[in-house]
Amino acid sequence: MAEGSVIGQSTVVRGNVRGEGSLEIFGRVDGDVSVTGDVTLGENASVRGDVNGARLTIGGTVTGDLRGTEAVVLERTAQVTGDIIAPRLGIEEGALVRGGIRMDAPTGSGRAQSDRRPAPRAEAPRPAARPAAPPPSAPAQKKQPPAPVVPAFRGLTAKKKKVRGR
Amino acid sequence: MAGTVIAAGLSIEGEVTSQEEVVVLGTVRGTLTSQDAVSVGQGGVVEADIKAASLSCAGHVTGNVTAAERVDIQAGGRLIGDVKASRLTIADGASFKGNVDMDV
Repeated sequence: MAEGSVIGQSTVVRGNVRGEGSLEIFGRVDGDVSVTGDVTLGENASVRGDVNGARLTIGGTVTGDLRGTEAVVLERTAQVTGDIIAPRLGIEEGALVRGGIRMDAPTGSGRAQSDRRPAPRAEAPRPAARPAAPPPSAPAQKKQPPAPVVPAFRGLTAKKKKVRGR
Repeated sequence: MAGTVIAAGLSIEGEVTSQEEVVVLGTVRGTLTSQDAVSVGQGGVVEADIKAASLSCAGHVTGNVTAAERVDIQAGGRLIGDVKASRLTIADGASFKGNVDMDV
């Protein structure tokens, strides 16, 4: 009892619920729910508002977005009207969903998966761009020295003088 | 489940209505109404008017309290607000500021 919070079957909250630790909802919440721990929504429970947490286990009705930094699990009694955003998603047969689903890891979640994904993307283009630029400049420098510079200038100047003269 | 528990670290801003026991170890701001007992544990903070069958306060309550049965302010508890209840106990070490209406 001391570890997590519980909103009982006959309890109605009109307002926002936020804080640390896990939360079990068996009653009704008209407002946003945002906790750092897991959220469990019982079969007859309902939330009208967004639900944010680590791992969301939904057995009741939600009218609002679900954001799980770890996972969202919809049980067969779940009814969700709103978007679901989570790196992992489970939907049991019988669950009803009306809304969009995004499964990219949320930014700033601090999870290992979200940290790994952006790193290779940022590093990959840089090595590709650096080798591509130097090769054209390097052969150009090598070709120029073999050709004697001084005779070429003499030839050019001589031809120009002849052209001007004619 | 044993009613409603608002654990330490959790805060509710708004209206809480219940027909069962409500235990507050976190924070409630707004109003708190229960048909059963309300207990504010050590470390619990309630900045709300409370209507309940009974109130046991070991934490900090700021707001008017209306209890159908009784109000107990325990040692270490602090209550700032008017109390309307037929029975009231204030333990040694508790602090209280407000008026009392015992429905005489």
